[in-house]
Amino acid sequence: MTLFATNSDLSAVGQLVLATALAAAGVFLLLPRPRGRSVPGGIAALIACVVVASAWFHDTFGKPYQDWLGEALFTLFSSGAVGFGVMLVVQRNPARGAIAFAFVILSTCGLFLLLAAPFLMAATIIIYAGAIVVTFLFVLMLSATGAQSDENDRSREPMLGVLAGFAFIGLVLFALDQSKQSVAATERPSPLPSALVTPDERAKLLDAVEKLQAFEADSFYQTGPKQPRVEAATRVETLLDDTIGLHAAKIEAHAKYGSIHERLAAFRTDRGSDDHLKRVEAARANGAKTLALVEAGIGNPAKAEAAKAAVAKYRGDLLLLAGANELPARNAANLGFLLYSQHLLAIELAGTLLLVATIGAIAIAHRKREITPTGNS
Amino acid sequence: MIGLWHYLAVAAILFGIGLVGFLTRRNLITMFLCAEMMLQGVAINFAAFSHFHGNLSGQVFVLFIVAVAACEAGLALALILVLYRRGKSLDVSVWQDLRETGVPPNVDTEPLPPAPAEEPDPKLPAVGRPPVREAAHV
Repeated sequence: MTLFATNSDLSAVGQLVLATALAAAGVFLLLPRPRGRSVPGGIAALIACVVVASAWFHDTFGKPYQDWLGEALFTLFSSGAVGFGVMLVVQRNPARGAIAFAFVILSTCGLFLLLAAPFLMAATIIIYAGAIVVTFLFVLMLSATGAQSDENDRSREPMLGVLAGFAFIGLVLFALDQSKQSVAATERPSPLPSALVTPDERAKLLDAVEKLQAFEADSFYQTGPKQPRVEAATRVETLLDDTIGLHAAKIEAHAKYGSIHERLAAFRTDRGSDDHLKRVEAARANGAKTLALVEAGIGNPAKAEAAKAAVAKYRGDLLLLAGANELPARNAANLGFLLYSQHLLAIELAGTLLLVATIGAIAIAHRKREITPTGNS
Repeated sequence: MIGLWHYLAVAAILFGIGLVGFLTRRNLITMFLCAEMMLQGVAINFAAFSHFHGNLSGQVFVLFIVAVAACEAGLALALILVLYRRGKSLDVSVWQDLRETGVPPNVDTEPLPPAPAEEPDPKLPAVGRPPVREAAHV
């Protein structure tokens, strides 16, 4: 089990197991107890865990970085969430725990932004900010400050609890790792859905859009020899065929292997990815037509206008296709539409639940006054 | 390239850490925060699937999770308040009489270390000459 050297499956699994065991040991040492708590030892174990985990990450995913900004942000937010989560668990002082929880929420909101969910980010921050402030007030009101107390300085079965939690984490990571490796071995599409449009395809589509823009200029249709312009149009057609044709072939391969993604698609009612399929097909069909119009329009002012309009429309379609991953286009509006068209009953029930919970909280926490014989409380 | 895999891994880790906290800590408020952290892990899962399916239903699920978490927060804090009034402590073990029959009670054997004695206020030593009251000039 070498840590930095090989890419073999066994080594990856070994690193994973070692990282989980180190994290478990670190959290176990850090959990508050009257005797046996060792803060330096726990922090050392956690740092060792981070080193082993990054070695494993580098071995498994150390490919040329395509999107370094996205990866850096993801690393920042996810390590923030996990690190402050560990702080919340091992912190003796509940007030500091509440602050650590606030940072967990902020990091999660960063992940939501990366996942193209700006509305969720805003809603989570607003709601949890209130919840955390209220929790904070409760901590200040109820817990004795400074003194040692049973609830803050003891843990319930720290060994068993840590084993249960980290066995769960290790098994889930192991299962994810295995699914990835079995996919790599059989060269089948991953059972986990990948992004609708990969960054590579996106770059090609945007390139095509840029080249199409030349066909919207008046000068393209009016002057000069005809031959190079026809060749330019043919080049763009080839480019489009390469990009969209390959993309469509990839989607068909996905369907053929019967991945979870495609099998689920048959049962879904609102079909984001089916819309995507339709858009790809339409773009494939329109590409040839549009470029034929362009070729007809060269040197023929009567047809040039129609060609320009067709190119403009086609460019819009391609832009939409390139941005298929970017859900935030009208994210709040689309979310609202979905909520009030398909989940109307559920949202009414959620509202009722909130009302009942409010009334219940007041009824539970209300202190009943004892009425004395004189009538005063 | 960050894929669905990575988000699922982070969500599983958050859920697991929250589980550890919920199982081992004894402060009611910390346990509540750990449960909320587990919910956050689940929410990341939903948002990630939503993103990689190109389908907003996952985000709708997260909205409902947030609504239920808000209800839960209100009720949990009200219950914590009532329990504190009755037990005068935030410790869950105060309520271990409610455990299943046949389970031995949890007894704390290790005594808590004595609280460090507060240091007395520092006193300044007398330094210098005592002032001499001079006779008033007439």
